[in-house]
Amino acid sequence: MARGTAPASSSTASSWMQRPSVRWTALLLLLVVLVLAPLQLSEFTNQTLARIGVFAVAVLGLNVVMGYTGQVSLGQIFFLGLGAYVTAYGVTNGWNVVLTFALACLIPAVAGLLVALAAARLGGLAIAMVTVALPIVGVPLAKRLSDFTGGSEGMSTSFATSPPGSGLFDDQFQLYVVLVIGGIVFLLTRSLVRGKYGRAFAIVKGNEAVASSMGISPYRYKVLAFTIASLIGGVSGFLYMLVIQYTSPETMSFGHSINLVAAMVIGGSASIVGSILGGLYYVLVPQLTNAVDPSLTALLQGAILLVVLFLLPGGLVSLPRALTRGRRRSSAARGPAAPPTIPSSTTGSGTATEEKETERQGHA
Amino acid sequence: MGKFVQLVVDGLSTGSIYGAIALAIVLVNQATGLINFAQGGMAVLAAYVAWWLTTHSVPLIFAILLSILFSFVLGAVVERWLMRRFERGDPDTAVVVTIGLLTLITGICGWLFTYNNQQFPSLFPLGTVSFLGVHISIRSIGTTLVIVVAMVLLQVLFVGTKLGLALRAVAINPQSAAFSGLPVGRLLMVGWGLAAALGAVAGALVAPQLTLTPGMLDTALVYALAAVILGGLTSPIGVVVAAWIIGVLENLAAVYIDFIGFDLKVAVPFILIFVVLIVRPQGLFGRKTVVRV
Repeated sequence: MARGTAPASSSTASSWMQRPSVRWTALLLLLVVLVLAPLQLSEFTNQTLARIGVFAVAVLGLNVVMGYTGQVSLGQIFFLGLGAYVTAYGVTNGWNVVLTFALACLIPAVAGLLVALAAARLGGLAIAMVTVALPIVGVPLAKRLSDFTGGSEGMSTSFATSPPGSGLFDDQFQLYVVLVIGGIVFLLTRSLVRGKYGRAFAIVKGNEAVASSMGISPYRYKVLAFTIASLIGGVSGFLYMLVIQYTSPETMSFGHSINLVAAMVIGGSASIVGSILGGLYYVLVPQLTNAVDPSLTALLQGAILLVVLFLLPGGLVSLPRALTRGRRRSSAARGPAAPPTIPSSTTGSGTATEEKETERQGHA
Repeated sequence: MGKFVQLVVDGLSTGSIYGAIALAIVLVNQATGLINFAQGGMAVLAAYVAWWLTTHSVPLIFAILLSILFSFVLGAVVERWLMRRFERGDPDTAVVVTIGLLTLITGICGWLFTYNNQQFPSLFPLGTVSFLGVHISIRSIGTTLVIVVAMVLLQVLFVGTKLGLALRAVAINPQSAAFSGLPVGRLLMVGWGLAAALGAVAGALVAPQLTLTPGMLDTALVYALAAVILGGLTSPIGVVVAAWIIGVLENLAAVYIDFIGFDLKVAVPFILIFVVLIVRPQGLFGRKTVVRV
C-alpha cells in the first residue's frame, strides 16, 4: 500500500505541513540544500552521501517488487552486480557513456524479465527461494566468466572524472550525478506506484484472486514489477560503478542481498521515503559498527536490526506516526478532558492497528 | 563403479544434513507460516555449545545431547520472546527478523568463539568399510542413519502421540485449536524447540567435516531452502527425499560434468528447481493449495 509517500506529513498533529505552500517551500529548500551542500562538505561526507544514494536506488528497486507488489525477492543485489559489471565492461572497452548506461539498464531488465517469467508462476514464499538462487549462482558464475568479469580479482574503472572547466572535484561531480540520476529514478518510481500501475500492484499484493476478478492479471503485473525492479537495480549498478569504481563477485554475495532486504524493511516497506532511509541504514550502520569494534560488526548489526523492528515493525518511516500516537496516548492518560477517540484502543497490539492505518491511507 | 557408489553415499550423507535443516524449516513453516532463515545459525550455535562442552572434558555424546537440549530451549525462547510479536503481522517483516536473528547469532558465535576454524571431534570413526569391493566411509553411513532415525522419531511423535496431534492442530488452524482449549502459545514454542533440536543434530553431525565456523551452515541453509521448494512446503517426506536428490545430483554433477565442476555445483539444485517448478509449481510432492475467496 502506498504508505508514507508524503514525508512525515501524514500525521494529523502536523496538519500545517500539508498546506501546499508549506510543502512547496520545503521542497524548494531541500533542492537548494542538495545543490549547495556538495560544494561545502568534505570529500569523505560527499562519498558517503553518494554511496547512500546508490543503495537508496537499489532499495527502491527492491521496494517496487517486494514492498508494493508483495513478492519477496532475495536476489536484487544480483541486478546491481550485473549493472556494475556491464558498466565496467563498457567503460574498459571504451564505449560511449550513454550507451553504457542504457545497456546497464537494459541487460539487467532483460535478465529480470527472463527470471520473472518463470518465477512469477510461483506464489508466496517460493518466489523468495527461487530468487535466492541469483546471488548464490551469480558469485561462482562471475568468477567463472573471467573473460568478461576479471574473475575473482574483479574490475576497477574510474570514468566519472569531473568535466574540465567546471571547477568541481571528482567527489562533488559524482555526488551530483548520483543525485540527478537517482532523483529522476525516484520521481519516475513515485509516479509509477501512485498511478494506475501502483494500484494494480497493491491489489496483486493484497489478494490475487480479487485482482484476477477485476481483470488484473497477477502474473503479468508480477512480471512487470520484477522487470522494473531489475531495471532500477541495473541503474543502481551503474551508479555503484561510478561511485565505488570497483566490482568483484563479492558485490553480489548472498550476505549483501539479505542486507538489502533488511535495509528495505528497516527503512519502511512500500514507501519512497523509506527507500532513502533504507539506503542510509545500509551504508551507515556498518560504518558505525565498524567504528565501535570491527570484531562485533555482525553482532551489533543483528542487534540493531532486531531492536528497530521490535520497536517499529513498520520500519523507520513509521517513526513520526508512532511518536504522535505515543503523544496522543500519554495526553489521553493525563486528563479526562481528552476526547474518547480511537487512540485508547490502539494500546492493544501495535502491528494490527498499524496495518489498518496503512490500508486506510493507501485507499484514500 | 566404486567411485560412483562412493559419490552416491557421500551425496546421501550431505543430503541428510540438508534434509534435517529443511525439515526444521518445514516444521516452523507449518506451525507459523514463516521461513526461518536463522535455522542454520541456531544449529551452528548448538554445535559451538557441544564443542565448548567437549573442551571442558564432557564426553562427546553427552555434549551433543546437552546441545540438543539447549537448542530446544533456545528455539522455544526465540519463539516466545522474539517471533511472537511478528507472527500475526507483515510476513516480510517476520522473514527479515529471522535474517536479523541469523546475523545476531553469527555475531555471537564469532564474538564468543572467534571466527577461526575449530576442530569438532567426530562421532564416527574415520575409516571406511568395504562392501562388494566398494569403499564407503563410515561417517557417511552413520550421518545418514542418525538423520533417518531422528526423522522416524519425529514422525512417530507427530502421528502417534497426543502432543503431536495438538501440534498438528495448531499448525492447521490456530484459532480453532485455541477454541478447543489447546495452549497454542506453548505448542508453538514446542514446535520451534523441536525444529531447533533437529537442527542441532544436523550441526553436530556436519561440524567434523566442515570444521566449526560461525558461517558453517550458510551454504547448507541455501541447499535446505532449495530442498524445501523442490519437495514442497507441505510435505515433510518430500522435502527429505528432495534433499537426498540434491545431495546426490550435485556430487555427481561436480565430478562428471566438466562445465559445472566444484565451483558451480551450487547451481545444480536451482537448475533442478527451475525445471521442476515450471512443470509442477507446487513442488515434487506438495499439494496444490486452493485459495478460498
